Amino acid sequence: MRNRDLLFGIATLVVAAVYYGLAVGIPQSDLADPIGPQGLPRVYAVLLAALSLILIARSLPRRSAKPHSATPESRTPNPGSGIPRVIGMLLIGVAYIVVLPWLGYLLSVAALITATIYFQGGSINGRSILVALSGAAFFWLLFIWLLRIQYPAGLWPSVI
Amino acid sequence: MAVGDLIQLLFSTAIIPAAFGGVAWGILGGALPGISPSITMALLLPFTYGMDSTVAVVLLASTYVGAEYGGSIPAILIGTPGTNAAAATVIDGYEMKRQGKAGEALGISLYSGFVGGLFGFLVLVLLTERLSGVALAFTPSSYFALGMLGLSVIASLAGDSLLKGLIAGVLGLMVATIGTDPVTGLNRFTFGSPDLLSGIPAILVMVGLFAVSEMLVQTTAPDWEKATHESARIRFPTPALWRRIARPQAIGSLIGAFEGMIPGAGGAISSFLAYNEARRWSRHSEEFGHGSPEGVAAPEAANNTVACTALVPMLSLGIPSSNSAAVLLGGFLMHELVPGPMLFVQHGEVVRGLYAGLLVANIAMLIIGYLIMGPCIWLVSRPKPYLMAFIYALVVSGVYAFQASLFNVGVALAFGVVGYALRYFAVPFLPMVLGVVLGFMIESNYRRALVLSNGDLTTFVRNPISAALLAIALVVLAGQLMRQAKARADAR
Repeated sequence: MRNRDLLFGIATLVVAAVYYGLAVGIPQSDLADPIGPQGLPRVYAVLLAALSLILIARSLPRRSAKPHSATPESRTPNPGSGIPRVIGMLLIGVAYIVVLPWLGYLLSVAALITATIYFQGGSINGRSILVALSGAAFFWLLFIWLLRIQYPAGLWPSVI
Repeated sequence: MAVGDLIQLLFSTAIIPAAFGGVAWGILGGALPGISPSITMALLLPFTYGMDSTVAVVLLASTYVGAEYGGSIPAILIGTPGTNAAAATVIDGYEMKRQGKAGEALGISLYSGFVGGLFGFLVLVLLTERLSGVALAFTPSSYFALGMLGLSVIASLAGDSLLKGLIAGVLGLMVATIGTDPVTGLNRFTFGSPDLLSGIPAILVMVGLFAVSEMLVQTTAPDWEKATHESARIRFPTPALWRRIARPQAIGSLIGAFEGMIPGAGGAISSFLAYNEARRWSRHSEEFGHGSPEGVAAPEAANNTVACTALVPMLSLGIPSSNSAAVLLGGFLMHELVPGPMLFVQHGEVVRGLYAGLLVANIAMLIIGYLIMGPCIWLVSRPKPYLMAFIYALVVSGVYAFQASLFNVGVALAFGVVGYALRYFAVPFLPMVLGVVLGFMIESNYRRALVLSNGDLTTFVRNPISAALLAIALVVLAGQLMRQAKARADAR
């Protein structure tokens, strides 16, 4: 855990440095108040850097071996050999963003459901494809028919 | 208003079906991550145009009541708040679900929401005109102090590591600075992207941190425990539990009543404050964060109280205290009803109809909430791959629906990665959510207060409301720090 704290401290220190650099680059305005648009972002960056340094300092000595119980929402994942599947889940979402304008909502959601079932350990068979198509139809009815959200129609209108 | 008049009013108009319909629609919208209560109400707005004005405002207000409750359903069942105000419910609600107590958590949520809603209703009816002055007394320095009071609960949400909680809180404040500067209008951290000009909405951060990161974690986690026949039934609190959650409900209702009347405060702050105070006053504070019924009761009572008390400044002064109240204001104006002191004189029958409708809406919430829980619990007991696939589809669809933007889907995915990283490093992410929710309010009001006082920092302590709120924030923070220090000393 202390190694992870050290890693996290370094990562947030880098974030603080980059954020500070960007904050300094915010242009000044003649309309600016005493604090200005840079003011609080710079304070936040310095505060984050200070907190990160404290975390780094506290994670360096290895005196206490007391286990660290996290709050429920931060259950620590141990991906191990499952990292490709985690990345795969993310890529499904990215692929959805890419194909939605081309395939349209119905087919894109059906494809997303099918791929997610596979990546979550399910098998691709007639049942899963039926579930995916039914699910896509349900979401289409919910979001497009009932809530009247304008999703991309895809290339189908021009093809048909 | 006499009881006889109330009954006559209810049965001589379509108030009852409007209240039931509005609540059902609201619960559906609130339960969909990305579809906020205000969007749910806005979707109804065009349909109310031809309606009787009383029925129209009852329909919209009931939708608000239903949506505030609906947000707790996904918060408990899939660990994703359907609305900002339901974020605090995730902490113990989802933990109860993981312990096979989904039915009990939903029952507590529904019952507490009902109690909070009734309390809010009473405040609305009895005190609207008298308490409306509270809203006018709030200056930018008071709003800044209110934001700081909200931030003070970070210590409570940080779990065992206050340091990591503070880091997460600062990260949230940083996210809140993205977009157009609130005072000068300059763009900050937008990298030339027009999609970032209005900042990153809190709902995208929450969907990413809660839902997407949970899906990523579940990809490599073993299958979860299926709901048993016993746990898959809605269970209302037993008499002993009723007594136990009475105090957090009272705390939530009181905080919700106060917060609801303050424009801009909203349900999210009241939920977190209620959670924090319920924990502080609880005899079982050690259970908070580990599936405490009180941790569900307090925020649910608070956010449902807000659904009624948010109408106090809207009705009496014409000031919408939230996006949802703004949509309701739009509904009023569409029917040529101008909120303000004269509304009670010129359109008293509409106000009385609204009051009657809100009472029916709270009862409708109890009935509809009870009826839909069985199917909800059944749904989350489906095989994990299918459930995860449907949650993913719901998340990407809901996030797109928020602003019809694929960019938003990408932002939610990105925050999913952030959430996964925070979980990996055992960093609590609720403080980050709080930072995002409160960041804009804190910065804009801090700077406005200094502009108005010519840079005089004492303005924050000279204003009595601001000074009182800052003092309470300090007391809350000091209390949490002392409690953590005592816990550490006891552990040694």
